[in-house]
Amino acid sequence: MTTASVAARTDRRGSAVPTLSMVTTRFMELRRRRGLMVALSMVTVGLPTIFLAVRLLLHAVAPRTYGPAGGYDIYTGLTVGVLYTLGFLVAATLGATAGSVDLNEGMFRHLVVTGRSRLALYFARIPAGLAIIMPLVAIGFSIVCAVCAVAAPSQLSINGMKVPVGLSRTQLETFAVRHADEVLCDFPSFNVNVAVPCGGGGPSGPVIITRSGPTGPATAAQVNAAAIKVADQNYTDYKRQFVVPPISLMVKTGLWLELEAAIGFLVALGLGSLIGQRTVAMVMMIVLEIILTPIVLRTQIPHLINLQRAVIGIATAHLEPSRLPLAFGGGGHDYRVTESTTTAVIVVLAWVIGWTFLGAWRMRTRDA
Amino acid sequence: MTVADEAWAVETRGLTKRFGGNLAVDGVELLVPRGCAFGYLGPNGAGKTTLIRMLLGLTAADSGTMSLLGHAVPKHRDVALARVGAIVDEPRFHGHLTGRQNLQVLAASREPAARERIEPSLARVGILHRADDRVSKYSMGMRQRLGVAACLIGDPQLLILDEPMNGLDPAGMQDMREMIRSFVAEGRTVMLSSHLLDEVERTCDAVAIVDRGKVIRQGPISALLSGAAVMLQVECSDPDRARTVLASSALDISVEVTPDGLQITLPAETPHDVIAEVARVLVTEGISLHRLQPMQASLESWFLQVTSRLGENA
Repeated sequence: MTTASVAARTDRRGSAVPTLSMVTTRFMELRRRRGLMVALSMVTVGLPTIFLAVRLLLHAVAPRTYGPAGGYDIYTGLTVGVLYTLGFLVAATLGATAGSVDLNEGMFRHLVVTGRSRLALYFARIPAGLAIIMPLVAIGFSIVCAVCAVAAPSQLSINGMKVPVGLSRTQLETFAVRHADEVLCDFPSFNVNVAVPCGGGGPSGPVIITRSGPTGPATAAQVNAAAIKVADQNYTDYKRQFVVPPISLMVKTGLWLELEAAIGFLVALGLGSLIGQRTVAMVMMIVLEIILTPIVLRTQIPHLINLQRAVIGIATAHLEPSRLPLAFGGGGHDYRVTESTTTAVIVVLAWVIGWTFLGAWRMRTRDA
Repeated sequence: MTVADEAWAVETRGLTKRFGGNLAVDGVELLVPRGCAFGYLGPNGAGKTTLIRMLLGLTAADSGTMSLLGHAVPKHRDVALARVGAIVDEPRFHGHLTGRQNLQVLAASREPAARERIEPSLARVGILHRADDRVSKYSMGMRQRLGVAACLIGDPQLLILDEPMNGLDPAGMQDMREMIRSFVAEGRTVMLSSHLLDEVERTCDAVAIVDRGKVIRQGPISALLSGAAVMLQVECSDPDRARTVLASSALDISVEVTPDGLQITLPAETPHDVIAEVARVLVTEGISLHRLQPMQASLESWFLQVTSRLGENA
């Protein structure tokens, strides 16, 4: 056996499985992209950190004007509103970069000439990229969890109104009767026929409202009944809220965010490899996440319902932990295209495997 | 004898590659002997880089067979390329990484011992002192050297260098030439493509001439040049009359008047007696002969004789 064949066989150069050394050098190559790393860190860690730091500072300086930095709204706003979408996009940026830079920077042919399997070259990017993006998301999320737990408020806040924690339905109704005017002004409500003066606006006193407008003053009993009705309407949402995020919810939220980031990275990696251009791949991922997914999520088209279910954003939205508000908003109503958890899992797997297959296939067949 | 012990470092049979209607490589039969510097010569667009890209598995051939170091490619490309180093086109690397880090990325795709060859390779090509600078700050010549270092980390038996002199200044070209010769002295085979005939003549032992996708001649340079026409440069008192006299003689020669005098072209392997006969004819006719000098056939002149460019220029 010749030296060449011995060398090639001992390092399994034809195998599709990358070596640890390939993964670590690919990790180094991505990590040393200073601009990219700064951008990724700023979005996943910097934004929540700066936001929370400002909230902490303001609350420390003027606690009556500015609420605590933690709590339900902050936690859900930063996780569902920021880390979910931006985590996906930064992961997609990294994936599109990892999928296309070798080609764009002329390194691909150097790597192919080593005789190493092209599939191994592709697969080495997966653990390397995930090893960058997943810790970043984890760090950003951990900061959110830590601040929300440490700087939690003592009471819940519903549209600015302070409400005690842990009330039963009856207790919430009793609380609503005691603070009827505030409940009627601040709590979200529908089909309530009593209006009260709210912050200088509205009627001069409690009135009965019909379709044709105010019909006369409301009695105290009518105001109390309306407050109880509003309390009942909000009880489900109230029960989902918390002062300190429960550990189980933190774990579920963290896993959900990591899943979203991993999907963003893997899909963009395959897309970047397939089309060989980072910018185009990035634009397509942004369109998918920012434009296409919210539209498809909100609009149920009967003849295309199964196609809508196959959109990755719909599937991940269905895997969202139950105590969080819906991704992409919803005003308290679940408008999502219906989908079972099994279907959602299958869609996620299909996207990840499908794009990985496409990216690897293109890598294997592309002229270098 | 194992496959890798075969005489040819590179062997192709009927290799063909077409891009749409353009036949870039047309049934190329190429034999590159081991242990020499071999030039693959051709004008721009002759299909040199395409052939190299096929050999290295960077693009697929439409038909034909090829082998590197006795291993059929692409079937056994992993084994074949284990001892091949190559630069194709302009050497480009990750600009944000240092030269050393780029080599680490490449070494990771080779055998574990490749990592230990990074330092010696950088030293060998003379850029060890800049190894920790970002490649984006490298000059073209330094990137060429880094490309050669990238080849060397695989301890190659065969180096395939595509236009290695491109972008180099005269000193850089000389360094590259010496480096190539030193590789050959170590028993490695170097196949380089180029359109710089003078450089190839100085560097290589053997060449193949490719034109319009076809190999039209190949062999040792000395053997090829021995088949080239012999040129005589003549300075005399009356060039016009000399041309008339020689043209009307029985000699099998062609004569042309140039600003420097006469240029006489003799068929290949013409006996030296014919040169003496030229002098005798001129002197007999009373033409004073100031200088008669046989010109050494160069690769360039021979190249122009055998390639279609000669026909285009005529």
